[in-house]
Amino acid sequence: MISVQKLSYVYSPKTPFSKQALFDMELTIENGDFFGIIGSTGAGKSTLVSHFNALTRIQKNSGTIFVDDMDLSAKKLDLKKLRAKVGMVFQYPEYQLFDDTVVKDVMFGPRNLGLPPDEQKARAKEAIELVGLDYDAIAERSPFELSGGQKRRVALAGVIAMRPEILVLDEPTAGIDPVGKRDIMRLVQDIKKVCPTVVMISHNMDEIATYCNKIAVLDHGRVKGVFTPRELFGSRELIEQCGVELPLVTELAVKLNEAGVAVDGSIIDEDELVSAILGAVENA
Amino acid sequence: MPFLHFENVDYSYPSGEGDYIRALIGVDLEVERGEFVALVGCNGSGKSTFARLSDGLLLPDGGKVTVDGMSTADKGSLYDIRRKIGVVFQNPDNQNVTTIVEDDVAFGPENLGLPPAEIRERVDWALNAVGMSEYAGSNPARLSGGQKQRVAIAGVLALKPELMILDEATGMLDPEGRREVLDVVTRLNRETGMAVIMITHFMEEAAAADRIVILRHGKTVADGGRELFMTPEVFTDAGLDLPVTVRIAGKLAAAGVDIGTPLSADEFAAAVAALKRGGKP
Amino acid sequence: MRDVTIGQYYPVSSPVHRADPRIKLVILLLYMVTVFFCESFLSFGFLTLFVIVTVIMSRVPILKVLKGLKFVIIIVLITTILMMIFYTDSDATPIAEWWIFKIYLGGIYSAVKLAWRLLLLVVMPTVLTLTSTPTELCDGLESLLSPLKVIKFPVHELALIMSIALRLIPTLIEETDKISNAQKARGAEFESKNPFKKIKAMLPVLIPLFVSSFRRADELADAMDSRCYRGAKGRTRMKKLRLRAWDIIALIGWCAITVCILFLKYNWLGWNFITMLSL
Repeated sequence: MISVQKLSYVYSPKTPFSKQALFDMELTIENGDFFGIIGSTGAGKSTLVSHFNALTRIQKNSGTIFVDDMDLSAKKLDLKKLRAKVGMVFQYPEYQLFDDTVVKDVMFGPRNLGLPPDEQKARAKEAIELVGLDYDAIAERSPFELSGGQKRRVALAGVIAMRPEILVLDEPTAGIDPVGKRDIMRLVQDIKKVCPTVVMISHNMDEIATYCNKIAVLDHGRVKGVFTPRELFGSRELIEQCGVELPLVTELAVKLNEAGVAVDGSIIDEDELVSAILGAVENA
Repeated sequence: MPFLHFENVDYSYPSGEGDYIRALIGVDLEVERGEFVALVGCNGSGKSTFARLSDGLLLPDGGKVTVDGMSTADKGSLYDIRRKIGVVFQNPDNQNVTTIVEDDVAFGPENLGLPPAEIRERVDWALNAVGMSEYAGSNPARLSGGQKQRVAIAGVLALKPELMILDEATGMLDPEGRREVLDVVTRLNRETGMAVIMITHFMEEAAAADRIVILRHGKTVADGGRELFMTPEVFTDAGLDLPVTVRIAGKLAAAGVDIGTPLSADEFAAAVAALKRGGKP
Repeated sequence: MRDVTIGQYYPVSSPVHRADPRIKLVILLLYMVTVFFCESFLSFGFLTLFVIVTVIMSRVPILKVLKGLKFVIIIVLITTILMMIFYTDSDATPIAEWWIFKIYLGGIYSAVKLAWRLLLLVVMPTVLTLTSTPTELCDGLESLLSPLKVIKFPVHELALIMSIALRLIPTLIEETDKISNAQKARGAEFESKNPFKKIKAMLPVLIPLFVSSFRRADELADAMDSRCYRGAKGRTRMKKLRLRAWDIIALIGWCAITVCILFLKYNWLGWNFITMLSL
């Protein structure tokens, strides 16, 4: 569980360039959540999540975060334990690959945790298979000669191999083609079976609407609210107030209503929209 | 004579294991002045290779690429080819050479050796055309991704090319940035008659083009107007999505309700509304 | 992180900002030489007066200038103290004595002069970078060095490399930050006392950084090629540096200042300013 309490953050404090990035943020991510974080560029999404594994330390008198029972504002913090617990996959994670073979790269995390070599390798194998790659075919290859999609999976495996309990994903499907996007999202659902809590930042409202059970909307460093997909995308006022994009299907539902075809304006699922349209047309 | 002409073009590059990857295989394609073409395909379909072959950054292993009759294999005409074709690349951070927006836009025309007054004129025009005039004195590092790509477009525009190729130029942008870029490009194509090849895997961008070319494993598998969307298999087989409107229209058609192939949300809503008014037996 | 820029340009409009960067560079060179000719307090005072005038004309807040000097001031203080402590003069009597240290009047004089000279040496380069953009400085340098083209010195290429480097620094800093965060998230620790271990620990950051820098360089080269770049050949510039009357006046003014300092130093024409002033 992650509990964010009155969290604020200022960039370059006490300089002419100082800029407040987060304002008194409050939110709770329960175990088992698929938690979406949305907001335009500069809303504070990345700054917020970089606090979750203490890559950004909480400033003095700026609130706190609890990850289970760990108080992240504490002076003495067991960083190793925290970073093993909260796995973080950044945007374009393939750019972090560095070792000469795939398996060594994936072992980097377990090695840093101080695990015995056998255990490192076992975890690497498990993680590589979990991300849908053929271990025997890929383990000894150089990560630099893989295709873009494979690289991203290897990078994902590098975080999974630490067996986190909470996985934070920053735009996991950025820059990939549509089929690749679906593959990655399917993968994330597989991963969620072993790592029950997933936090995802995304600009892709279709992904957010399809996979998340809770969505936090950020705007200029503030939490505008935490909603279920239906609550958020079904409410015109909320959408406008938060400056949120609509999922494609919901946008169609809205346009249909404007054109005089009455359908539920909070529909997210394609098939639901199809049956709603069929109903509306047949009743005419 | 077509403006950009790919004649039976082959291109391979070495893969990591001493093998070769065939990026393009016998590609034939003609693009005329003023056209708006979307070149679509999944990752690894060869679409970025296409952009680099077009302006002679890469040379074909087999076949021939000509621009306005000049072959890219002829070293002497490369400069003239690049005056006629501009390329905007994917990564907004890897295209500008200076720390000031207007100086960066001036880079191209400076290379052409134009007189300073004309460079100034072109820079001001290009920045205005992409809606970035107010950022002329800014540092590109401080702009958003969409703004950086608009500056990159202005940098190419200032060369007054007859064809602009956007090589997945929206691939790294957020939805807002993507919309900014697509809007600018469609407007430029309409108003200045500059031909555009938009290389992308976003179907909403493909739907905005007049003509769609689908690449799959290095071969062109389809080439046509919006009627292509009536045969969804060509897209799905190539590892592409369909625009959501086409997808839903397909599902409706399967249930016996035909609304055609609407490509935008507005078209979609209008088609359903018309059907509803018309009633059903 | 995107706020990191090399140099510390302070964007206001002032005569100093508007001056031709070539003139500014030449004046800076002249000024640096002049500082070394200063010997008497009178000449230091004289030069300082004009430095203050320049700072005021630049419209950069004094605090901002001093902030740029913060680090230097610390060094200057330390040197001054050392100088006072270790200055010995067997002929003179110390004015203060403590433990093994003896402080002489001559020591204080030389220490103050040294400090003053050091400060004068760094204050003007600071003013230059506060009032000129890196691009202006690159252009100015390119123009000043252009006579070297005759001996096939790659002046244009050098200036372009400088300009691209300046533009890439913030990008690379940002990238280093991202990669090291990604590795820290995988439990990496970069703090180690042993320098070899430290380098080894940095490899997971350095390797991806190199890989991506090469990729960037390739892409940038492609982008430049496709924008018709073919070296200095046939290239023109949008912003031509143009000398204005004010630039010439400023240059003449600073030449005059240098000449005055030389008068003070060498007592040319037998003038003795001190005696003249005391008259």
